[in-house]
Amino acid sequence: MTRYLIGRLTVFIIAVFLLTVFSFSLNYFFPGDPITNMSGVRSFQSNYPLVMEMRAGNENIATQYLHYLRHLFAGNWGQSLSNGTPVFADGFQHFMASMELIILALLVAVTLGLPLGVFAASRFRQRSDKAVISLAMIGYSVPVFWLAQLMILLFAIKLGWFPITGQINPLYGVEPQTGSILVDVFLSNSEYKAAAFQDAINHIVLPVLILAIMPMMLLLRLMRNATQEMLQKPFVKAARARGLNEWRVLVKHAIPNALQSVLHQTTLLFSLMLTNSIVVESIFNWPGMGNWLIRSIFERDYPIIQSAVLMFAFVILFFNLLVELYHGWRFPIVRHEQYATR
Amino acid sequence: MQLLDIRNLTVEMQTPHGVVRVLDKVNLQLIEGEIHSIVGESGSGKSLLAKAIVGFINPNWQVTADRLWWNGQDLLAMSPRQRRQITGRDMAMIFQDPNAYLDPNSTVEQQIVEAIPQGDVRGTFMRRRVDRKTRVKRLLHRVGIRDHESIMDSYPFELSQGIAQKVSIAIAIAHRPKLLIADEPTTAMEPSTRLQIHRLLARLAVSQKMSVVLISQDVASILPETKRLTMLYCGQLMETGPAKDILSEPAHPYTDSMIRMSLQTQQQLPHKARLPTLPGAIPTLRHMPIGCRLGPRCPKAQKTCVKAPTATHERQRVFHCHFPLLDTTS
Repeated sequence: MTRYLIGRLTVFIIAVFLLTVFSFSLNYFFPGDPITNMSGVRSFQSNYPLVMEMRAGNENIATQYLHYLRHLFAGNWGQSLSNGTPVFADGFQHFMASMELIILALLVAVTLGLPLGVFAASRFRQRSDKAVISLAMIGYSVPVFWLAQLMILLFAIKLGWFPITGQINPLYGVEPQTGSILVDVFLSNSEYKAAAFQDAINHIVLPVLILAIMPMMLLLRLMRNATQEMLQKPFVKAARARGLNEWRVLVKHAIPNALQSVLHQTTLLFSLMLTNSIVVESIFNWPGMGNWLIRSIFERDYPIIQSAVLMFAFVILFFNLLVELYHGWRFPIVRHEQYATR
Repeated sequence: MQLLDIRNLTVEMQTPHGVVRVLDKVNLQLIEGEIHSIVGESGSGKSLLAKAIVGFINPNWQVTADRLWWNGQDLLAMSPRQRRQITGRDMAMIFQDPNAYLDPNSTVEQQIVEAIPQGDVRGTFMRRRVDRKTRVKRLLHRVGIRDHESIMDSYPFELSQGIAQKVSIAIAIAHRPKLLIADEPTTAMEPSTRLQIHRLLARLAVSQKMSVVLISQDVASILPETKRLTMLYCGQLMETGPAKDILSEPAHPYTDSMIRMSLQTQQQLPHKARLPTLPGAIPTLRHMPIGCRLGPRCPKAQKTCVKAPTATHERQRVFHCHFPLLDTTS
């Protein structure tokens, strides 16, 4: 395990290093003054010479990069070019809002997708399997932006069950602290906490569902194929020959081994969800990272563009690292195949 | 006591070219604590016979028999659920490629624990844990693994074939079955490992009072302790009876050729001598000969062989042949 751990961590650190090199070089690729792009301070502002010195603007490029790294890890990500707010604090709130959406959607996708996949596999090529699988095919092919509009039309406008956009009704006066709305409501000292909570949940249902559908269907198909493959394996036959009933064969042998391959694909799923979250956040006006990134691109707000790209990439890398570490820890055969160690 | 009594077991398979009989009226009687070897070349239906015994056959195939009795109970009259219960309680099976038949993602200990019957361990939660562990250790010792500590924590891909086969035997005997079916357990193994596994099976049969059905491809790799021998060819029973008699004095031409083949491989053949094999090849499922299926390849075949021969009983032995090598007139 140690060897596997070191291997994965090394890859992660190298990737993050390359990522910071890229985001640093973005400052030079963007039009205008690199120091302004980095810090968000314009050359005519009074503190520009100070910033110039702090970020080593007159030194060589390697020194500039080191200073950039120091600022990055200190949480000093500059300020917005359009309204002067600090990027890091702002970004953290948007990050949390996005994560709330993505994690809830991932939970929905996993709790519905995996069991349905196993169900389809256990009824392989029967009518119920075909029904589930064609449903998954449809769900996977429907574009998110179209589905979102349709769901809004149906559930928000026609039926009026859920609100159309936003995180919460502003009348509740919940101050954004962490950015995650459910946590914020919990932390707030509003008199109508329960009602505000209810309202926040009403707001979050539609975006979470729409974000969950595509990964859910993908997960369903992956899980069906993997489980089906495992059910053909000799060790499953041996378990059956031992007289175990079908349920125990599934739970004890087929599903854990199917998860080995499916789990690896969840990293793919996660980046797919991050991409979709940009669309969903824009449609539902959810104050998350995607929304933030799109707006900053329209406003040519370079410090924000750079930070948002950095955060997106870092989140994906970090999730990959977590999945791979869990994968290696839970399934020793993975470590064995890669390093031939225990 | 007769443990297993099979009379005229027939398995038929629907194919696009009509019905194919993959097992044709096979008989098998098994007595408690006896080692019974089934020998036949590939495609002879020996694995299928084993699968039919444990009730593990493709549901689209037709299984009929005049009698398929286990311990006096009719297996064919049972529901699949009952059948599985009986299989899980009284029978066990080990296979050719042991590493593939163990779950790659659980340790040896977990897999043996799973095979130990729930009712065997009693007491409080902690006591049961300790009890299970000692049981696993004891089982590993019984199959000849002394280094139980490291083996218990190993995963199947870390084990050698011989050890993995021993582990699957440990799993198989965990619930003290009355019958162990070994489906070519030592094919593709080194001679020393093969010998170990064979001795282990023979010892277990005696110490556990367990019947063993050993399936093998050639006469050379059956256990020396084998009591009875059954020869199958293309789903038909050729000859069955006490192993000693059959090996010393085969009645059926097929048995005779199999024995001579295994003897010849041990001795030096003269330069450019013909191999003592039967002419021709094993027929495919689509082109099964009528009558005695050995007919086209049999050195003694004559016109009457297009009709399936009836069973000849001769001193505990049964063979199906019109022209046996034994003198039956006496």
